[in-house]
Amino acid sequence: MNNRIGVYVCQCGSNISDYIDVEKVRAEVAETDGVVLARTTMFACSDATQKEIVQDIQNNELDAIVIASCSPKLHLFTFREVANRAGLNPYRYVQVNIREQGSWAHSDNPEMATFKAIHQVKAGIARAKLSQTLTRLRITSVNTALVIGAGMAGMKAALELADMGTRVFLIERDHFVGGRTSQWSSLFTTFETGEEVVLRVYREVDSNPNITLLTGAELVSVKGTVGNFEATIKITPRYIKPGCDMKQYPELEAALKKAIDACPVEVPDEFNFNITKRKAIYNAFKSEFPQCPAIDHEHCTRCGECLKYFDHIDLEQKEETLSVQVGAILVATGFDPYEPAEGEYGYHELANVITLPQFKRLIEIDEKELVYKGRPIHTIAYIYCVGSRQTEGPNKHCSRYCCTSAIHAAIHANRKYHGIQNIHFNRGIRTYGKQETFYSESLEAGDIFVQFLEEEPPVVFSENGKTIVRVNDILTRQKEVEAEADLVVLVTGMVPRKNSNIGELLKIPTGRDHFFNEVHPKLKPVETVIDGVFICGACQAPFNITESVKSALSASSKANALISKGYIELDPLLAEVNQEVCVWCDSCAKACPFDAISKISFDGKQIASVDHSKCKGCGMCLPVCNVDAIGLTGYSDHEIESMIDQMIG
Amino acid sequence: MARINPGFKKEIQKYGSFDFNACYNCGNCTAVCSLTDAGNSFPRKMLRDTVLGLEDDLKSSVEPWLCYYCGDCSTTCPREADPALLMMSLRRWLTAKYDWTGLSGKFYTSKRWEIGAILTLSVFILLLFVFFHGPMTTELTPEGGVALNTFAPWQAVEIGDWAMAGLLSFFLISNIVHMYFMIVRKSRIRIPLKLYLKEFWALIFHFATQWRFSKCESESGTRRENLKKGKYNYWVVHFLLMSGYVILFTMIVGMLGWFQTDEIHPWWHPQRMLGYYATFGLLIGTIYFSYLRIKKNNEKTKHSHYTDWTFLILLFLTTVTGILVHLFRINGMPYLTYYIYVIHLMVLFPMLMIEVPFSKWSHLAYRPFAIYFNNLVLAARKQNAA
Repeated sequence: MNNRIGVYVCQCGSNISDYIDVEKVRAEVAETDGVVLARTTMFACSDATQKEIVQDIQNNELDAIVIASCSPKLHLFTFREVANRAGLNPYRYVQVNIREQGSWAHSDNPEMATFKAIHQVKAGIARAKLSQTLTRLRITSVNTALVIGAGMAGMKAALELADMGTRVFLIERDHFVGGRTSQWSSLFTTFETGEEVVLRVYREVDSNPNITLLTGAELVSVKGTVGNFEATIKITPRYIKPGCDMKQYPELEAALKKAIDACPVEVPDEFNFNITKRKAIYNAFKSEFPQCPAIDHEHCTRCGECLKYFDHIDLEQKEETLSVQVGAILVATGFDPYEPAEGEYGYHELANVITLPQFKRLIEIDEKELVYKGRPIHTIAYIYCVGSRQTEGPNKHCSRYCCTSAIHAAIHANRKYHGIQNIHFNRGIRTYGKQETFYSESLEAGDIFVQFLEEEPPVVFSENGKTIVRVNDILTRQKEVEAEADLVVLVTGMVPRKNSNIGELLKIPTGRDHFFNEVHPKLKPVETVIDGVFICGACQAPFNITESVKSALSASSKANALISKGYIELDPLLAEVNQEVCVWCDSCAKACPFDAISKISFDGKQIASVDHSKCKGCGMCLPVCNVDAIGLTGYSDHEIESMIDQMIG
Repeated sequence: MARINPGFKKEIQKYGSFDFNACYNCGNCTAVCSLTDAGNSFPRKMLRDTVLGLEDDLKSSVEPWLCYYCGDCSTTCPREADPALLMMSLRRWLTAKYDWTGLSGKFYTSKRWEIGAILTLSVFILLLFVFFHGPMTTELTPEGGVALNTFAPWQAVEIGDWAMAGLLSFFLISNIVHMYFMIVRKSRIRIPLKLYLKEFWALIFHFATQWRFSKCESESGTRRENLKKGKYNYWVVHFLLMSGYVILFTMIVGMLGWFQTDEIHPWWHPQRMLGYYATFGLLIGTIYFSYLRIKKNNEKTKHSHYTDWTFLILLFLTTVTGILVHLFRINGMPYLTYYIYVIHLMVLFPMLMIEVPFSKWSHLAYRPFAIYFNNLVLAARKQNAA
């Protein structure tokens, strides 16, 4: 029981003292048993007052302090540090919130606000009396990170971590790195190609001794907690002997071509968003790295035809499983382009309706003339916000990159081919920031912009063999206008990856849009509620490449700061099991949102045990325990009851 | 249903405008326009129809004629899309569309056609004189003037004038009828006969005063202030030129016997006073507008189409040669008088034949008729609603 307690009642300038009679509060609590010092102060958080408090603690040999001021969210750590500086255990400090819960809430009734404040402070004093010396928990951590996804975000995060001295396992499910960026030929805002950008980053990743890049690699399970995750990775064979780099050995090209020609299996090429086909054995596109062929594990029939022409094939390769110890995990799994429903704006029903990603591949593939399915293309109609900004369904978000991307693609097509007319059917152009110049450029180049409302979307139909887009144009007095188009491009938004279970494996919460959720959009933008698990890039929300890389750099520095010291400090205010009383009924384990409680054997019986590195001290387990065997350090039943006594006293 | 026609912008560009595609539909142009109102919103609407290539809508629009090119929209436009220039180009384009012969479109889009037509008509006049001129007597009248009516008897010239006036009227009136069908009939509004008569005053009033034109310049401040600041200069000069033209045209076509005399009247005689006034108006007008077009320091005169210059040059030459005819005649210089008289008609005839029904001068009819037709449609709509 502490009985040399110091109490401070803060005026917060006039924020508190305008409504609460702080002098009265001070006088009322000064007489309380155990209080040796009670003061009012203009600003408790000011430097001068902090120094005064330190001196008070030392001069009066205080064993606990109570500060009645603002919300602990604002200054709990400030005043814990004050205690620490004075040589007092920081957990012997109690904050009472008489501003947000007092003066601001009851500005209409100063008298009762003062009455309430007196009781609040008395309750705080009661808790301070019972407060104990606690020390922060320390767990060891390995300075190794797992980065999932080797797109632009993943690769940049890996490089940044490696540069700061963290070892990195960079895993990529595909046989090639570069992600979506490698699929785009020309990129806004610089017209650099995906190939150039990916190659630059890939070279650095490839030569960095701190990074282990694994392609064809997928996370299958994860155990452990922050600082000590054990990740199991499955590696799908490439069926190509190592070191078969086509850039290095161009003489292999002819043999590889024969092998590919010989392959009897043909499947849609996902890299080209299925507008072309590829064989089960296929070479890397020039923007994919490593520049080394691969065999599609799933579709290959092991017929052996390719072996006749190409020596570097090894069909004996087996699937491998690898286990790595990592301190933190960065998820950079990216996005999928929205796949329009059958018949959505004529998709899959009319031959010349494609998506923006498909169109971008088409511009890359068609060299001299823009041709789709044998027909030359001159007039292109773009329909915006397909799979974005929908009132119904999960895709309420704006995908942000698509306006710029579509206009950029239109400009690119205009520059590359002769006689292109672009008509943009949009819901308001959002080429934010510096990207606005593209909008200007396309306007000046003669692109036509037609704007529609969500409830009056364009209709795409075929008439006498011509494809027509018809819409009410809000920029032309809501007049119904139509355009004939050789190609209709659906400007599809971003949606979360469909075939990925990373979220479930790592228990990362998702939003209503099914993208991964950060803890706080402003204050903790790359952290998840799972300690040690970070998110970056377009798996979190629609980002363009610049934004993805920025979040990747942010996540990598947060991860490095967390694990590079070799240990991680945790708050000691955690759940605690009374081993004598506990009889293991599993109610607490079920109630725990963080999977921190497990069953152990103790003294010949089964009891609950709390994993300190997982527990967040939320207290969800306390009320469900039938035998009162679980408590929360710093918020014991005894403490809470003594506070209630003061409150109602 | 209107079909977007991206190719239309190429056509309209031939008529002078080029930047309108930069428009992003903010509507500032319409917001600053001192002539736009709820009944007729412009210029944004015109810009939008042009960008989409909605030819049918544009053909039936009166808005281009309601604009007098103050240029406020172009100076305000954040995208430098130059809406005022587009309105000007649309007036040229509409002139070509009203003209059922198709000649107007040729003159507006091909310098060869325009210059070729002028030269052909000039040569035609020259040949007429070469073959049919009267005796080139050097004998002077008792007052010492040249006997012009011996060389070119006014009775003979007047026959030519009437023929020309007949042709001009035929083309211009048929084009106005075409315009009526394109604007009023297209609107599918039943207009009672009474309205035609009731609104007729507008036609006369606007023809005589260009009242809307003066409104265009008085965006802010009182009329007195604006007058002091020279904001009405353009309107005043335009009025001088217009009235001079009308007076001279009337005297030449309807009263040649009174106007083209060998007798030299005293200076205060109405024939000379009216002639001097009209000449002054034409001279000041052509010089002032040419000066502005060379200086290019305001929106209205920044961009000159070649047809603008053709018109100004022909009018200026007509005026100067007319002055010379007068001077040579009263000072008794027979040969100079005869030659310059032929040249005068060689300029005057093509100027009237090309500019009045097919080119820039047709606006003297289209502008007041546009206001008339517009008032008809609006009034009928109002009646129907009530």
